[in-house]
Amino acid sequence: MQKHDVLVVGGGLAGAHAARAAHLAGADVAIVSKLSPLRSHSVAAAGGINAALAEGDTWEGHAFDTIKGSDYLADQDSVEILTREAPNVIIEMDHLGTPFSRDEQGKLFNRPFGGMRQARAFFAGDRTGLSLMQTSWEQLVKEGITLYEEWAATRLIVEDGRFSGLVAYKVADGTLDEFQAKAAVICTGPGGQMYLKSTNAVTCTGDGLAMAFRAGCALKDMEFVQFHPTSLHGPNILITEAARGEGGILKNAKGERFMERYSPKMLDLAPRDIVSRSIQTEANEGRAYPGGYVDLDLTHLGEAKIKERLPEVYQFSMEFAGVNPGEKPIPIEPAQHYIMGGIATNNDGATSIPGIYAAGECACVSLHGANRLGGNALLECIVFGKRAGEAAAAFAKGTSQVAGGADVLAAEDRRVESLVKSDGREIVEGLRQELKRVMWDKVGIYRNEADMSAAVGAVRDLRRRYENVRVGAPGRTFNYSLLEAMELRNLLDLSEPIALGALLRRESRGAHSRTDFLARDDPSWLKHTLAWWRGEKIEITYEPVRITQWEPKERTY
Amino acid sequence: MGAEGADVLVATIKVYRYEPERDEKAHYDTWEFDVKPGQTVLDLLHEIHYFHDPTLSFRRSCRSAICGSCGMTLNGRTGLSCNTQAQPLIDRDGSLVVEPMKNMPVLKDLVVDMSGFWKDVYDIRPYLQPAPTAPKGPYVVPKQRMEPMKIAQDCIMCGSCLSECTSREANPDYLGPAALAKAFRFVADARDAATAERLRQYSEPNGIWDCDTCLYCNEVCPMHVKPMDAIMHMREMANDLGIESQGSKHAIAFYETILESGKLNEFKVAMKSLGLGGLALQAGITAKVVLRGKQPEIRKKKIEGYADVKKLYKLVEERKKRKGEKK
Repeated sequence: MQKHDVLVVGGGLAGAHAARAAHLAGADVAIVSKLSPLRSHSVAAAGGINAALAEGDTWEGHAFDTIKGSDYLADQDSVEILTREAPNVIIEMDHLGTPFSRDEQGKLFNRPFGGMRQARAFFAGDRTGLSLMQTSWEQLVKEGITLYEEWAATRLIVEDGRFSGLVAYKVADGTLDEFQAKAAVICTGPGGQMYLKSTNAVTCTGDGLAMAFRAGCALKDMEFVQFHPTSLHGPNILITEAARGEGGILKNAKGERFMERYSPKMLDLAPRDIVSRSIQTEANEGRAYPGGYVDLDLTHLGEAKIKERLPEVYQFSMEFAGVNPGEKPIPIEPAQHYIMGGIATNNDGATSIPGIYAAGECACVSLHGANRLGGNALLECIVFGKRAGEAAAAFAKGTSQVAGGADVLAAEDRRVESLVKSDGREIVEGLRQELKRVMWDKVGIYRNEADMSAAVGAVRDLRRRYENVRVGAPGRTFNYSLLEAMELRNLLDLSEPIALGALLRRESRGAHSRTDFLARDDPSWLKHTLAWWRGEKIEITYEPVRITQWEPKERTY
Repeated sequence: MGAEGADVLVATIKVYRYEPERDEKAHYDTWEFDVKPGQTVLDLLHEIHYFHDPTLSFRRSCRSAICGSCGMTLNGRTGLSCNTQAQPLIDRDGSLVVEPMKNMPVLKDLVVDMSGFWKDVYDIRPYLQPAPTAPKGPYVVPKQRMEPMKIAQDCIMCGSCLSECTSREANPDYLGPAALAKAFRFVADARDAATAERLRQYSEPNGIWDCDTCLYCNEVCPMHVKPMDAIMHMREMANDLGIESQGSKHAIAFYETILESGKLNEFKVAMKSLGLGGLALQAGITAKVVLRGKQPEIRKKKIEGYADVKKLYKLVEERKKRKGEKK
């Protein structure tokens, strides 16, 4: 058994800042992470991090754009915290060593991003996530923070309604152990692997989300799933929004700049939900290339500028599509990219269970409401990772360790043992592919009652079939098939709240776009969805959106 | 895109297997596959793992060459499985052989123990050490002054360079290219205030002077980081700052003795870099060299074309002078 004051689950950008903040506040902190921290998906974030730092820009401007982008579902007091804190984040990360791109005079560059009326995305080439993650990881090394790497947390332990620790699985040798702590911050990032087309890493299986859900935390607004307009056709590797920020233009198979029809003012830099739907409409109406993709044209920028400002776009395009973007357009299609919903938290990252905190993509404060704007996710990880870490450390200071957990460890041991030995007839990857297909086809970019209702049924059926799953690998050393079986359970447990929340929400708002309810319906639906795990059943409740100074208006671009 | 099936290649894929719970020795498993254009090595490994042999273990995550998880040896050369197209390799070599990275112990199949890799990175103090007072806003550093870092800052810590490092193969204590590239990232950073202190640390044995300049690290890096260039820059900087070490003395002695005749004077180089005492410690090697009749002549005659050597030295000296004036 291991013992610490605060456990941070996940070592990505939010986790690193939660751990650092709790450590600087005097707590004994350890990170428990399925991956080595630098392997976290934060490194894949490319284009930028927003802040009203340029002359003439204001935090209110950043806040308004974020709230409008969210289709007014974001909690406005939370967005105020995010946007007020943003300039300090850029300065602090620069002071810690992030190599932000600069001009000849030494001032930080910024560039326009979708849904922002002003250029306020700061960046390090198009490897902003990698650069911020490196800097944050460097600080973990500097502070000597304890790291349990390649330990996958499988279960949160809650005794009498309070957090007491967690059980984690050591990938290297297949053993389970109990970690006792007074508080935990869940920072496990994305969970989009239930979608057929996704920019998420293969390991983004929503482990923390599912674990917190099963432990009794509410999941908020899970039906709001972002589809990024520009993923590479085929492998669905992310082509950053910065490509359009630098002047890239979307064209259909007839060579038309189709965004002129859908967003006459913001064109290719309209928010992601709008651009994704536009591409999908072009495909549905037969104006895309066979296979449903369109062109992202950067040729007018020239190879030199692409290489300087968008080196990763250049590399991806060459390596995965065999296309030199200086000479030919890049074939792109929408793919699942981000889940706006997550573990419901307050502004300090606290969940409904004392001692459990969450931050980053797996959390829902809510900062992004029904649609996240590019450049706000990295910012969220740092601002709210830090807040959650500080709050968890303060909580740990004022409380004593809750005992118990040995029986939970034994139960997890039995579960894993029976999973590894099971000779059921369902193959992990078979079920996973079926799930991905169902979610993509029926709870995707465009949604309707019949599809979603079928999806809820199909997901329930897949959950039943999971009881018969076969791992097929008996060993305990780096048994990734066993890990994938555990990950699949998490994806299955998360898919139902997504499908059910979407089915019940009879309106179109942000990324939730229904062909049978086309309009946003504020009188009935200006509210957050909360999903609660009740064993076999999921209960849905609602709570109001917190509005401060921006009254909901029609959202046009 | 061609018609379905038109460009499919039937190929043999050989994968290194080692299961410590069962095997005393490693072996290879072989699969026959239809390999489609555009398929990466990772795609093929996934196909094996998901549908043919769930016991096959390998690390991977982002599948887009940014997380650094999937370094492995592909037909003899280390790279990422996710951004390596399978067909060109098979076209070139007739088949595909996938093995774990080198210079790191194998834990299972394609999974290696990277703890030694990380330890080296920790050892170089991989974090900014700025001056005690920071500006109120971001540091003002012109774009050009950020440029030198670029050859090192994109490192994703995949271990490919270490896997191919011949100096590391010969000397397990050598810090290795990834750690030293990371070191350079801070040395080159205008915001870092510990440059001299860092260079002194990196000049110690097993540091920058232990690279044997084989260039493999530069060649295999999937992010186009140039660890060897970074190491050479640090050598130059250490010399400019007058940081003396056995390595720097060796390099300077090399430079000076070649100027004398155009030929390396092994005896003088050894004298200058090791000193008499050090030389005595090397007596064993010297004896072996002599026994095999390979002892170098002590006095060197000027080589043919010595005038060209002089010209080269003149160019180098001029360049050094210009660099000094710029500063």
